[in-house]
Amino acid sequence: MKILSRVLARLLKAAIVLLAILVLNFLLIHSAPGDPAAVMAGEAGATDDLFLQQLREKFGLDQPLYVQLWKYISDVARLDLGFSYRQQMPVLDLILDRLPATLLLTGTAFVVSLVLGVLAGVLAAGRVGKWSDTLISTIALVFYATPLFWAALMGVLLFSVTLGWLPPFGYETVGSGFTGLRRALDIAEHLVLPALSLGLFFMAVYSRMTRASMLEVSQMDFVKTARAKGLAAPVIERRHILRNALLPIVTLAGLQAGQLVGGAVLTETVFAWPGIGRLMFEALAQRDYNVLLGVFFVSAAMVIVFNLITDLVYGIVDPRIRAQ
Amino acid sequence: MKDFWSRFAANSGGVIGLVLLVLIVAVAVLAPMIFPNNPWKMVGRPFVPPFDNMKFMLGTDTVGRDVAAGLAHGARVSLLVGLVSTLAALLIGIPMGALAGYFGGWVDDVLMRITEFFQTVPSFALAIVIVAIFQPSVVSITLAIGIVSWPPVARLVRGEVMSLRRREYVEAAILQGLSAPAIILRQVLPNAISPIIVMASLMVASAILLESSLSFLGLGDPNLMSWGYMIGAARTVIRQAWWLSLFPGVAIVLTVLALNLIGESLNDALNPRLSRRRS
Amino acid sequence: MKNIIAAVVASFLTFGPALADPVTGGRANVVIQPEPPSLMLGLVQNAPTQQVAGNIYEGLLRYDAKLNPMPSLAKSWEVSADGLTYTFHLEQDVKWHDGQPFSADDVVFTADVFLRQSHPRFRAILAHVDTITAPDANTVVFTLKSPFGPFINAFEVGTMPIVPKHIYEGTDFATNPANNAPVGTGPFKFGEWQKGSFIKLVKNTDYWDEGKPYLDEIYWHVIPDAASRAVAYETGQIDILPAGSVENFDIPRIAALDNTCMTEAGWELFAPQSWIWLNNRQGPTASKEFRQAIMYAIDREFIRDALFNGLGKISNGPFAATTKYNDTAIAPYPFDPAKARELVKASGYKGEVLKFVPMPYGETWMRLAEVVKQNLADVGVNVDIVSTDVAGWNQRLSDWDYDLSTTYLYQYGDPALGVSRTYVSSNIAKGSPWNNVEGYANPGVDAQFDRGAGTIDQAVRTEAYAAVQKQLVEDVPNAWLLDLGMPTIMRCNVKDLITTSIGLNDGFKNAYIEK
Repeated sequence: MKILSRVLARLLKAAIVLLAILVLNFLLIHSAPGDPAAVMAGEAGATDDLFLQQLREKFGLDQPLYVQLWKYISDVARLDLGFSYRQQMPVLDLILDRLPATLLLTGTAFVVSLVLGVLAGVLAAGRVGKWSDTLISTIALVFYATPLFWAALMGVLLFSVTLGWLPPFGYETVGSGFTGLRRALDIAEHLVLPALSLGLFFMAVYSRMTRASMLEVSQMDFVKTARAKGLAAPVIERRHILRNALLPIVTLAGLQAGQLVGGAVLTETVFAWPGIGRLMFEALAQRDYNVLLGVFFVSAAMVIVFNLITDLVYGIVDPRIRAQ
Repeated sequence: MKDFWSRFAANSGGVIGLVLLVLIVAVAVLAPMIFPNNPWKMVGRPFVPPFDNMKFMLGTDTVGRDVAAGLAHGARVSLLVGLVSTLAALLIGIPMGALAGYFGGWVDDVLMRITEFFQTVPSFALAIVIVAIFQPSVVSITLAIGIVSWPPVARLVRGEVMSLRRREYVEAAILQGLSAPAIILRQVLPNAISPIIVMASLMVASAILLESSLSFLGLGDPNLMSWGYMIGAARTVIRQAWWLSLFPGVAIVLTVLALNLIGESLNDALNPRLSRRRS
Repeated sequence: MKNIIAAVVASFLTFGPALADPVTGGRANVVIQPEPPSLMLGLVQNAPTQQVAGNIYEGLLRYDAKLNPMPSLAKSWEVSADGLTYTFHLEQDVKWHDGQPFSADDVVFTADVFLRQSHPRFRAILAHVDTITAPDANTVVFTLKSPFGPFINAFEVGTMPIVPKHIYEGTDFATNPANNAPVGTGPFKFGEWQKGSFIKLVKNTDYWDEGKPYLDEIYWHVIPDAASRAVAYETGQIDILPAGSVENFDIPRIAALDNTCMTEAGWELFAPQSWIWLNNRQGPTASKEFRQAIMYAIDREFIRDALFNGLGKISNGPFAATTKYNDTAIAPYPFDPAKARELVKASGYKGEVLKFVPMPYGETWMRLAEVVKQNLADVGVNVDIVSTDVAGWNQRLSDWDYDLSTTYLYQYGDPALGVSRTYVSSNIAKGSPWNNVEGYANPGVDAQFDRGAGTIDQAVRTEAYAAVQKQLVEDVPNAWLLDLGMPTIMRCNVKDLITTSIGLNDGFKNAYIEK
């Protein structure tokens, strides 16, 4: 019961935050110069008042702002994210269309960076001060300081253009007609470079954090006690140190997981990955308000969901919290 | 102080970082003397490769501007944006965190909801939107970076203040009838300053990264030569002129690296106990 | 004989295909940038829509490189001697992609009802039209209120795409479900559109022009990053790069690749010209001396060579060099900073900072703005660049909130369609970035533009437009930069891709790929 009411309270708070996000973004976006009608007219290379008026009427942009806002909020309350002016389809369809690609990319990057990062961190922590520790730490530091888009460009240059090992961009080979396993392999091939360049930074973060956290925990009293009890080093490392050292990593992973959806704009742009990060960036330039708001809404909802999940995972890793 | 230095210097990384940063700052400060020409001035043939013509050690760009001059002047912009936006983030984050932590209760609740709000919005996307809407300029960029990076500061300060709040000397000050602002400013914050400094040094680094990412997407200040701009402008010619994106890229990596190294050493030097949790 | 026969020419006479026999089959992989908002050409006329939809829809006429009309859906046509009656005889046995027969009713519906409602540029042309009638199923007659010189140039697919009456009549055009799977008469049918990824068109096996098209399918790939588009060509995923799909800096490298051909053909009708908008209303740019100074200050040769790889021509005035009435006797303003400095001084300029809002259409245009800013700084003029996105830039131009701005506009094959709109005073109105944005008003120029448009007499037109050019070059309402060269890059074994003056926009009707 207690858990249920806690979850309910969290959900209520989350709903308020979501509402605030919608309102703020709505106002922010509508204060941008130009509107979708002007953009579309501009692209046509010719325009007159009638044309603009037709478009604005069609989009409902001739209404006062508060009417538009109220309509939008009440639509969203019914899970209707509206209609894209430019793409001529429901925003929800558009987002659901692009979401799998983004989740695949960022999910892969997430898992890879988490696994490799934690492994490297554990490795380094186990060999403090030795050359392998220095090597891992240095590499992590450099990755940590490298702009993502730069890593992406260099990756394309080296692995696609110079070596020809991997496809330089895209989600799959268009028009190949691949199905089943062949298609999955094809997509996987396209996934390597974007996922790696997106994951590098977080790999660095996780490895640094794991190392630091492990070192800190290993200085704690209960570890000393365990050592004094004569437990074997690997057992201590696994049962006592790693388990406790994981707490801050779970927090960070939860944060990162939440940003998965919104955080891939750069990678998706460089690699022409048909995800929602790119959708957002294009919608911004097109002043496609509903799409932009929809992407913000979905990404924010993801953050909230992942925060909840983080809490649950936290409870598993650290039994003390469950008791609270 | 001496103690601080010896602890700082114990980490050789910090010393390396400090030397690097001093060099970079020196270049930034001396840029107008080393390269008196406006970095936008077209001084040579386009696409002169580096080390080819000693007049342009690092080559020239797509329209014949001196890359070295761009790097030197760009250092000013990157450092400035990094510093000022971090200051902006601190100016928002410290009061938020301090008030929330000191007063607790509904104040804490409201302020933390606001913080949560900013942590829930995808931050890079929000920065993009802010810059695009207020039109790219050094002011809008700095502001956007400040706006998306203050929440961690608020959380950190809140935590520190909460724990300090219960210390005896603070309780004593309250009993003496000192006003809340006075207590926060004079008793609480000075004691929370070390972790803030550490965090700030790391934030400058990520602000520089963020600025370069925005510029890469074409959202930089069009009147200022910055490293991010240079890479953004060079990416279309990356295969003809590798040096145009290589040098500013290296400059960013070195600067960010230096700041991170310094941040870590500060951490070790200032709060050995707290340090490891936040690397 | 009241009517004179203007042109009745079968297409194979004017445009003989290459000597080898065309190869049937295969797929063309083309870049499309940016992703079009819709393929319904009657509703949306932006550049990417035209490029793709020019395969689906057709106009009554096509135009050769010299802008002479050629048959398309109209197999022949006559213009009356007084220039008031245009009669078109349509191809027979033409079918819409859904199998319904095409007839003159479709043309009347398109011109009189559909496009009148949806197509601003065509609406302006319709202002000259009195009636549009279909005396029989295969004939359409346009009668004009008064002679309109460029009328014969108004029948290309982008200006007047013929849409199906049986699908659109009586419906809300904008929300008609057919917009998502457009139905035309063209050589290719709509296949599939994966938003954000590709658009697929498939061969229309029922096409009226027997034996065509040759290709089985066309894939238009959506690749949002210019560098990725270049890589796509290099790695063989793309065969055709339409003009503007890769950054200019990348062109020489790509053009030098194996089996790669480049052509500037296929843009004669559009003849895009670039210039710097100068706000004639206020500030230093209100002074003629100051505007002339800008012309002398800008190093256009450097701009062309460094930014456009030497492609394009330095404009000698408001008429693009490839268009009919360009006065070749006019020499372009030379690059002369000393003279510019003198004129700046004479204009009474006191160091005001000019707001420069460059066109946000990619790297080349940003570099161009930076070069111009530096050129002007060298003659003592202070400029601050204001960076915007497309929406913000449109807004600022529409509100006249700028001192300098860059742009390029199509000339549509005739001064009355593509040039006068920028300079006649009747076209000064807020709300559009494509009209007389600079606010130039000169009754003499207005009168000459009217004279040139209101006749089909070539001698009169030439004379009127010569007078226009003389006056405008003196007044410098805008600082003309370049008549742009628009390079299409493709594999050399792609044949007969560009056979008209609108090139790719006329579709892949004749194109084939040699093995």
